[in-house]
Amino acid sequence: MDIIVCIKQVLDHDIPPRDFKVDEEKRAVVPPANVPPIISNFDEYAIEEAITLKEANGGKITLLTVGDESSRDSLKKCLAMGCDEAILLNDSAFEGSDSFGIARILAGAIKKIGSFDIILCGRLSSDWSFGTTALALAEALDLPSVSQLQKLEANGDTLRCERVLEDGEEIVEVSMPCLLTASNEINTPRLPSVKGILMASRKQIPVWGAGDIGVDTSQVGAGAATLELTKLYKPDYSTLCEFIEADSLEEAAEKLATRLREDKII
Amino acid sequence: MFSEDILTEEQRMVRDMVRGFSRKELAPRAAETDLGSFPEDAAKKMAELGLMGIAVPAEYGGGGVDPVSAALAMEEISAVCPSTSVIFAVQNSLVCDPIFAFGSEIQKKEFLRPLASGEKLGCFGLTEPSVGSDAASLQTTAIRSEGHWRLEGAKRFISNSGEADLCLLFATTDKSLRHKGVSAFIVDMNSPGIEVAKPERKLGLGGSSVCEIRIEGAEVPPECLLGSEGQGFEIAMKTLDAGRIGVAAQATGFIRACLAASVAYARERETFGRPISDYQAIQWKVADMATEIEAARLLYLKAARLKQKGLSFSGEAAMAKVFASDAAQRAGSEAVQVHGGNGYMRDYPVEKFYRAAKAAQIYEGTNEILREVIAKHLME
Ligand SMILES: Cc1cc2nc3c(=O)[nH]c(=O)nc-3n(C[C@H](O)[C@H](O)[C@H](O)COP(=O)(O)OP(=O)(O)OC[C@H]3O[C@@H](n4cnc5c(N)ncnc54)[C@H](O)[C@@H]3O)c2cc1C
Repeated sequence: MDIIVCIKQVLDHDIPPRDFKVDEEKRAVVPPANVPPIISNFDEYAIEEAITLKEANGGKITLLTVGDESSRDSLKKCLAMGCDEAILLNDSAFEGSDSFGIARILAGAIKKIGSFDIILCGRLSSDWSFGTTALALAEALDLPSVSQLQKLEANGDTLRCERVLEDGEEIVEVSMPCLLTASNEINTPRLPSVKGILMASRKQIPVWGAGDIGVDTSQVGAGAATLELTKLYKPDYSTLCEFIEADSLEEAAEKLATRLREDKII
Repeated sequence: MFSEDILTEEQRMVRDMVRGFSRKELAPRAAETDLGSFPEDAAKKMAELGLMGIAVPAEYGGGGVDPVSAALAMEEISAVCPSTSVIFAVQNSLVCDPIFAFGSEIQKKEFLRPLASGEKLGCFGLTEPSVGSDAASLQTTAIRSEGHWRLEGAKRFISNSGEADLCLLFATTDKSLRHKGVSAFIVDMNSPGIEVAKPERKLGLGGSSVCEIRIEGAEVPPECLLGSEGQGFEIAMKTLDAGRIGVAAQATGFIRACLAASVAYARERETFGRPISDYQAIQWKVADMATEIEAARLLYLKAARLKQKGLSFSGEAAMAKVFASDAAQRAGSEAVQVHGGNGYMRDYPVEKFYRAAKAAQIYEGTNEILREVIAKHLME
């Protein structure tokens, strides 16, 4: 079973709010000093699921990421967890791509790779949380896709997928090749072992640019982005404590409910 | 950190993995571990990740990393859980490494493999009830009789001995020969004649057992002699030389924990209408901690690099250990001070590092003895 996993390197969000800074003029997050970037959370679940599938069914896992040279660190970590190969998609023409641009770049790389059974992605990225890239990729490759998996079982040529919904779950069967996105309920990502790290550090990561994957540069990058960021700011959170006075618990509950409704919280 | 650019990719990856492991697996239990429970689950996970024989080559079941990576791993564990760092240090530097360095091929297959894969836990038995710094005077005897060695005596303050399966145990075959009479034995802790007393109650490091081992007529087969007869003292000294790189990295981790907790607390705690981080008295404390972390780290990295290149590192390792553990002792004290009364309480993390740091000034050569070692390198 050959699997392609698409990952994204993001800024570590697990930092104190006071260290999170936004440059409003440039409409960009200022990378915090001395905090290395991480693999987007949900992507780790996709990696783990791919490794579990490979352990049960054999095959090869190829990683793809669109990013700059620093993304090698995240690719290496995934290799150390147990993936086989990684390709970095880096080209100045890719800079500023929106989700659809990224999907076009990934689709180009996947067409170049050729055959595969499953593409796995995280359900959304932990920086922007749009959740569009993976599905746009399925569209670009004209593949069936199932999103937000909490469970995956392979039965011969079909996959039985359990999707997390807001009010329950949905069971879907899909045939391969297909694209799946992993939710955090699906597994517990492993840490790379020391042996895995030594193996990964000996692996080479090739870089593919627009020319290598036959991507039309007018279709990607900032110029092709259909989404415009008009403002980026840090929300101002403040807390206020209010006591609800009442003679009985019932009355207190009712007053609290009314108060919350007034503030449109419930 | 300043040392970022002097590390290889592999070294950074090992460090980052162990950092992730420590945060995820050790941090939630560190306070509980410190109060006295052996971190069994953590030890199991460490075995799975290849951390219980981190520097032992893969062919003997270990992780196969270089001395720099091993020391960085030590710093990461120590910055979160002091007790687990002792378990890691003993297993790796004091047991696995000497068996790899001095063991025969058969010993490596039989004893090193299960240790390095984490199936078995080891301990290092040098100190005795009446002998510590002056290890050449040890009293435990090994007498050759009927095709095996018969051991008599006692070992004291032996870390990991409460749970260990094997002990690298030092005994003399001829007291009159002093250090030349010492031999090293790989002893099965379940053999008849070996009895482990109940754990000592100590100042800190609660999750790491320290016990007395009573040895009464324990029979050890000849194939358990590590190195040659009379080589034991050399094995002990070389093992401790390298172990001190680990203790230095450990103490660096302790200072890091003190600094992180102090900075976070100082930004939050307000007195006289201002956060205490506004006061110079507090700023100087954290500035000193940060400076000493960098210095301590560079010292242990230098010793580790010399070791990696096969050069002599004994003096550098001693300097690293003395400097880092003294600095950790200061940092522990000052971190408690920054936290005020809270710092003295177990609900806050810093006092456990304060208590742990004291031990780092004592074990693997007291800082007094090590200053003598450093001076000897200068004067000889
Ligand atoms: C938490 C903990 C864990 C330990 N784990 C182990 C272990 O796993 N295995 C093991 O074998 N041992 C272990 N030890 C023992 C440790 O290595 C010894 O305690 C240490 O070597 C000191 O020996 P001692 O206690 O006999 O002190 P002594 O040797 O009696 O020293 C007492 C004091 O005198 C000073 N002193 C002694 N001689 C001189 C001199 N010539 N010049 C100047 N000052 C001197 C010392 O520095 C010290 O301050 C552990 C100790 C602790 C606290």
